[in-house]
Amino acid sequence: MVNFEFSEDEIRFRDSVREFAKRYIEPKWVEIDEKGRIPLDLIKKMGEQGLFAIPVPEEYGGMGGTMVMAAIAVEEIAYHDPSVAVAVYALLNNGWPLALALFGQEEAKMEILPKVASGDAFFGIASTEPQGGSDVAGIKTVAKKVGDKWIVNGEKSYISGVREIQELPEGGGFFFIAKTEKAVWSHKRITAFALLPKWNGKIKPGWKPTVFEEIGRHGISTGGFTLENFEIEDKYRIGEVNKGFYLVLQGFNIARTLVAAATIGSARWALDRAKEWLTTRKLFQGRPIASFEGISFKFAELYTELEAARYFVYKAAWMIDNTYLTKDPKFKPYDLNLPVAMAKLKAPEVTTRIYEEVLKWFGAYGYTKDCNLYRGWLGTFSYTIGAEGAQNIMRYIIARDVLGSEAVRNVWVKEEE
Amino acid sequence: MKALVAIKLTYDVNQIKFDKEGNPILDSCPKVMGEADKCAVEEAVRLKERAGAEVTAVTIGSSKEHYRILRDAYAMGVDKAVIVKAENSEKLDALTIARILASLNQRLGPFDVIFVGSGASDTHSSVIGPMLASLLGYKLLANSDKISFEDGKFKVVSTLEDGQYRMEASPPVVITVTSEANEPRIPTIKDILRSKKKPIEEISPSDLGIETREVTLRNLTRYVVPRKRIKIDATENVEEAVEKLLKMLEEEGVI
Ligand SMILES: Cc1cc2nc3c(=O)[nH]c(=O)nc-3n(C[C@H](O)[C@H](O)[C@H](O)COP(=O)(O)OP(=O)(O)OC[C@H]3O[C@@H](n4cnc5c(N)ncnc54)[C@H](O)[C@@H]3O)c2cc1C
Repeated sequence: MVNFEFSEDEIRFRDSVREFAKRYIEPKWVEIDEKGRIPLDLIKKMGEQGLFAIPVPEEYGGMGGTMVMAAIAVEEIAYHDPSVAVAVYALLNNGWPLALALFGQEEAKMEILPKVASGDAFFGIASTEPQGGSDVAGIKTVAKKVGDKWIVNGEKSYISGVREIQELPEGGGFFFIAKTEKAVWSHKRITAFALLPKWNGKIKPGWKPTVFEEIGRHGISTGGFTLENFEIEDKYRIGEVNKGFYLVLQGFNIARTLVAAATIGSARWALDRAKEWLTTRKLFQGRPIASFEGISFKFAELYTELEAARYFVYKAAWMIDNTYLTKDPKFKPYDLNLPVAMAKLKAPEVTTRIYEEVLKWFGAYGYTKDCNLYRGWLGTFSYTIGAEGAQNIMRYIIARDVLGSEAVRNVWVKEEE
Repeated sequence: MKALVAIKLTYDVNQIKFDKEGNPILDSCPKVMGEADKCAVEEAVRLKERAGAEVTAVTIGSSKEHYRILRDAYAMGVDKAVIVKAENSEKLDALTIARILASLNQRLGPFDVIFVGSGASDTHSSVIGPMLASLLGYKLLANSDKISFEDGKFKVVSTLEDGQYRMEASPPVVITVTSEANEPRIPTIKDILRSKKKPIEEISPSDLGIETREVTLRNLTRYVVPRKRIKIDATENVEEAVEKLLKMLEEEGVI
């Protein structure tokens, strides 16, 4: 059975998000990028509209929707804020709450997820450390069990949402990973937690944040933090001790799919702007520049590439739904690695190519701040760098899945005890 | 209080494409609930929230999309939905539509207030509301841009070319709602998912004793204002050119 059609529910949902984004996000997106923050009342409004925790079951305060719907929402939001700050805010608060809902303990889920769904708290991901994000098994932050608590020491960096959790009324935190007991290089010594540096409106002791200045998507912050004897109650442990690596990778599959959805939304905006420009900008005795094949052929190529990327995104989202959000799963979690890596590899790269071309088509105007195309370009470029996994790591996953792990093993390292 | 809101399936005017001659290509144009009708639903739902009205939405037609706009009305908050299953509903004349709504009032009502859009996004004949009011002997508050319900009375503001009219009437009343009246709420994902499971009551026109005599719409032609091109050279003297332009516009009756 092959079916490339959105269901009626999905179309009605897309239309509702489109209307919301047109009404409340589009008029503000430039200001959001300029001022470097998403107004808290917009975040709250998005919560009321049900744009967070979309695939999270209703019993945890989620929307009881699907990953396909989350991808639809993120794509539409990115179209109306092509800098993607608002879309990134939304995708983190859809993807990581789902990961918590799938792997977390009952009490923590009941406590955290409704507040994220309502827009009062943020829930993202904190895995990257200063020494290198790609090497997840090499993290150095350590969690030691003392009584029924975990004492955590270490440092995380390039973490989205560090400022937002300080400003939101409830606060929030992250799907967080640390080495269990000692910092040795190993996949099998990582435990996941819900780390809540600010919760119930209070900042907890032992957490020291900083905020970095970035070149794009200014509306959402990225920062770092240190943890010094920071206490985590055991109820916030996600999954079994030492299984964190495998859980965070599943979370990455969910979040990467939504990252790809954000970039294609932004790219679609850029191509729509190009469509308008290429058919109305007239040169050489009144010919629209679209009539020059040097331009229209390139447009056709990029349009096709974007459509291809969109298929990757929705296929991955659909597979995730059929892995985690169905009574009778068609796939196993590891089946998702390849399709998700392909979506996350393809979508941001196509998007960057689209921005590079569209900017040139706009001529000198494209290079002005007034034109605003650069905001989309710099914003989405973050996803060709890192953010939920570097592109080379996607290539590595694809190669490993297709060619076999022994053949492509480029990281010649041994598990340390 | 019981409220009825009548909604029509129309073309999504934001998505109409035109052919080379400038005629709308309607076959491929998506259909939605009319804009003013959406505002009418919003008013009905606000009345429910403020005055505890029970709201029924009705549409006339039989396509999949007719069912969809009723689900959209459910998602916005109406309590009941009814479809009058007339084939070829787009070819029914206004009086037949008004008669169907009037007899619905007998069958499901009587309603204290009936909201309709002040005009459909496509045909915009604006006659259903007045016809319905006169068939039922209800008071009519037409073309309402602002609607409130205070002290048992509906109060509306209607903006026409010659000024603003303030009108009020106690129920029963027909109110025609403009697309300026409010900003219709956007259904949430939960509203949308729940609306799918709600029942839609089916009634046929003959159940209502109405003969759907077809007034065949032969041809919908576009009325085109002939375009005139006037060129004024402004390369030499801009001020003179502006003067000239203003004079010509005045002669054409534009200003
Ligand atoms: C805007 C933004 C937001 C972010 N938000 C978050 C967040 O919320 N939470 C979080 O945990 N992290 C976040 N990150 C960090 C992101 O996950 C990392 O940037 C990413 O994992 C890469 O890590 P790194 O930057 O340390 O680069 P490194 O891991 O040091 O990699 C450097 C370069 O080497 C390449 N490379 C590494 N290993 C290999 C290999 N084996 N083979 C070939 N090439 C390789 C990489 O592709 C990269 O080009 C964010 C990053 C950005 C840019």
